Amino acid sequence: MPVREIGLIGYGSSIYEKRASLPEFSYLADAARAALASAGLRKIDIDGLAISSTTLAPDNAVTAAEHLGLTLSWAYVSTAGGAGALASVLNAARAIEAGHATHVLCLAGCAQDTAFFKERIARFTGALSDYLTPHGCGGTNGLFGIIQRKHMERYGTRREDLGRIAVDQRANASRNDRALLRTPITIDEYLVAPLVADPLRLYDCVMPCSGAEAVLVGPLDRVPKDKGVRILAGYERHNHPMGEIAPLRGGWELYRDALFNDAGIGPGDMGFVQAYDDYPIMVAIQLEDHGFCEKGGVGAFLARHRMTWEGSLPLNTGGGQLSCGQSGGGGGLIGLVEAVRQLRHEASGRQVAGALHGLVSGYGMVSYGHGLSASSLIVGRQ
Amino acid sequence: MDGQRLPSPYPMPRETAINRPMLSAWREGVLALQQCAACREIFFYPRSLCPQCWSTTLSWIRSDGRGRIISFSQVHRGLPEAFAGEAPVTLAEIEVTEGATLLARVICDRPDAVKSGSAVEVVPLPEALRYPLPTFVLRVAGPP
Repeated sequence: MPVREIGLIGYGSSIYEKRASLPEFSYLADAARAALASAGLRKIDIDGLAISSTTLAPDNAVTAAEHLGLTLSWAYVSTAGGAGALASVLNAARAIEAGHATHVLCLAGCAQDTAFFKERIARFTGALSDYLTPHGCGGTNGLFGIIQRKHMERYGTRREDLGRIAVDQRANASRNDRALLRTPITIDEYLVAPLVADPLRLYDCVMPCSGAEAVLVGPLDRVPKDKGVRILAGYERHNHPMGEIAPLRGGWELYRDALFNDAGIGPGDMGFVQAYDDYPIMVAIQLEDHGFCEKGGVGAFLARHRMTWEGSLPLNTGGGQLSCGQSGGGGGLIGLVEAVRQLRHEASGRQVAGALHGLVSGYGMVSYGHGLSASSLIVGRQ
Repeated sequence: MDGQRLPSPYPMPRETAINRPMLSAWREGVLALQQCAACREIFFYPRSLCPQCWSTTLSWIRSDGRGRIISFSQVHRGLPEAFAGEAPVTLAEIEVTEGATLLARVICDRPDAVKSGSAVEVVPLPEALRYPLPTFVLRVAGPP
């Protein structure tokens, strides 16, 4: 039997809302419906389900199957926060290759608002709940303030440079009807925005919101050639570096060479980057760790580039979480969904001209000081 | 009785058999760290086994309570209710004399005085009792 190549054959986004008007399953189902439609598949074709959500408990992928009326031969719940959704796609592709399923729906999302988020993040992990929340860390902002200050003091990284990530992503969001924050901001507005967790200010921080994202993993021959997206390489890594509380690097640095080797292309071949943007400093660290510039050199690198959809380094071309809002675990999939949209040349109004390949990276599971998990995919147009 | 305790306005850690020695020591104003008997690793927060070598033969050591700020953030917005009147809350990554690093709050009347590299020491009794976990102040220069 000829081997069928497995890839991304559908994608979809739900509506996004600042407050939850619906339960989490509704947002997940909204994104799932759009993904099925984009693949030309029916519900009955789905026999695998992966869910990346930090708020689904006590429900899980199997009870989701009951809710959504699916019969499954493969079910997966990710454990890696904002790195979880990309890991789920990798695992889904391997499960299909091994014969456990044919078409896997990968969902990620959340029903929440800012007040709910504040309660939830205080109890996010055991270590965070017991040893950080009693200090008044204010969710994760204080933790990433520590990381950004260290990067600024060690490498001379400037807010003027990091801020261009937020400013250019907002310009991208102005072309995305789903983004909750679409009003352009200037670098001057970024620099003097209200202090949140010094050195972090307002436009460094994501706004928790409700929404969901979905991709369908399956045989590429199921869809027309220009609608299937290939997975050229992918890795996940957890708890690296070990024991460092506020590291300026993550698991990406360990597999970067293997990732680009497997794909047979380098950072310079990427038509865009969709990096996990809970904070601009973490986008900057992902650019360094993936080899776009040397460690500590990201300030000068950002100063040389424009990160808009039509710039020299298109970055988070739909506006990213910084402009769309962070729909919990959905933040880990929003970048891949935008990548598929771009590679199918369906990103109307913000289409990167001639996009052939892109890097998508994930980050998450904040515990005692930083996110423990990293993940990356290199995807390509067929 | 397990040390005196002022009513704390702050969220409290869950007290367990694993972290009880640390929490009890702190109620005496002492920072207690764990040390692995097998590989000598010194670490914080309390765990049931050494994260380096998995030995469960751990002992508690008394830190001299002094350290140095590696990096910090001052949280102005989004603070939980109990902390809202105390903004900004200074949260710091601190390396203590014994070599362990931890995250802790630094109490300071003048937030501008906090710098990376600043020397810190644990809050003295009885003020220490106000805080649920080992908490620091800037150390004034003086004899070591």
